[in-house]
Amino acid sequence: MTPATASSNNWSVLERKLGTFNRLMTTKAAIGQTPKDLIWTLNKAKLYRYVPVVPAEARHRVPLLLVFALMNRPTIMDLRRGHSFVEYMVGRGYDVYLLDWGVPGPEDKDLKFDDYVLDYMPRAIRKMKSVSGSSEFSMLGWCIGAILTTIYAAMRPNDGLRNLLLLTAPLDFSNPEKLTFARWTDEKCFDVDKVLATFGNMPGEMIDYGAKALKPVENYVTNFCKLWDNLDDPRAIEAWHAMNTWVTDIFPMAGGAYRQLIVDFYRNNRLMKGELKIRGELVHLNRLRANLFNVIAEADHITPPCQSEAILSKVGSTDTEIYRVRGGHIGIMAGSSAHKQTWPHIDRWLGARSD
Amino acid sequence: MTAEHVDAGPQVDPFEAFRGMRDKYLESMSKVMIDAVNTEEYAQATGAMLNNYLTLSAPFREALDKAMLMALEQFSLPSRQQVIALAERFTNLEMRLDDIDAKLDCILESRSASQPSAAGVSPGGAGHSSISEAKPLHQGNSRKGQRPK
Repeated sequence: MTPATASSNNWSVLERKLGTFNRLMTTKAAIGQTPKDLIWTLNKAKLYRYVPVVPAEARHRVPLLLVFALMNRPTIMDLRRGHSFVEYMVGRGYDVYLLDWGVPGPEDKDLKFDDYVLDYMPRAIRKMKSVSGSSEFSMLGWCIGAILTTIYAAMRPNDGLRNLLLLTAPLDFSNPEKLTFARWTDEKCFDVDKVLATFGNMPGEMIDYGAKALKPVENYVTNFCKLWDNLDDPRAIEAWHAMNTWVTDIFPMAGGAYRQLIVDFYRNNRLMKGELKIRGELVHLNRLRANLFNVIAEADHITPPCQSEAILSKVGSTDTEIYRVRGGHIGIMAGSSAHKQTWPHIDRWLGARSD
Repeated sequence: MTAEHVDAGPQVDPFEAFRGMRDKYLESMSKVMIDAVNTEEYAQATGAMLNNYLTLSAPFREALDKAMLMALEQFSLPSRQQVIALAERFTNLEMRLDDIDAKLDCILESRSASQPSAAGVSPGGAGHSSISEAKPLHQGNSRKGQRPK
């Protein structure tokens, strides 16, 4: 190869890489593709039922309801075909339902945890029971979804909740020195009322910045360097594209719920202290009696393990298990090794308690 | 004439030589930055910046809101507050429909229970909800400010 040809070859490689990079940065991957039916709506919230692929007689009797956080799309649970937690669970014979909170508008700025837990969740669960024909059900809450499901389980212990799975649950805020978010949102630095008086809802861009600023170099530089290094690997770029599509799909969080998250949880740790009131009623964690599976991500920088560990000593459940996974807040469920490290253990625990 | 080989040859990444150095630099920078954002000083600085932005931009936002409100009135268009009020009423209607749905489930359940021949078969597969589950959910649980006037 002459020097001229080699030089030309280098430029064509660079051009191809730039083309791929540009495509990945400017297009959306198809995520959330597992077939599902819409069975209930209220305001922006939607309840979906995933189309079963296992015959009814071979399916687990107890349906599973997935509840994700309020400030990101729940499509992370169904990221891409062949690598989707939902697809995996449907294939393992679960009747899977997903509660999608939707995108709050200006009219939803006063929505609080009270509304999500006492208005939306009971209605969605009633519909799920009606459609599934089961009076018992399991719930999986992830991130803020774990706060919501824990509060619900404690406030409605006789509603048929048999199994509660918590993933990276930010429930204990008693160690603010270990929580960067707690430092940033301390009342000395952050005027939550002023922010919400200005914007109504908490802008998605600010939430996104907060999450990314915890590891600024990784999120703003290394992420793209790694992408560049792997541009010749179709599997790697497919995974990156899907994750980037999910990460960049940001939207606001209802103002009332955000204020509660900061004031009641980050600043005052009211749930663990037994001081949290939901519509005037104290939330007693010892009333939570469902079987409990608590998944903790050991390298979680958003919800450090110390936030999820104490719950087991507070609840009234007799069947409890902690499962620790090497990985981060999202990686344990959507990362490349989730299908080996996390999903089979959830299936093992839940399958034994779903018939 | 010499035949020139036009095979692809090894693909050379122009950045290959810098990769190791780059990764080491980013790794060390990452640790420095994580420590930096985790300090009280960073929290106070970002808090102060946000606070200043909100304070300084408030008069402009208020002026814009007033101008927009006047313009919408001139064009006989609804204001943001009016659209919000309408959306809240829609949500309230949806809740009432959901309550009716729950009551209907309850009635169908009672009927199927009183008619043994039709036991276990209820329209929409709705025959399994207990009466306590199917009671209207809005009583005592309603969102403040969402009741119809």
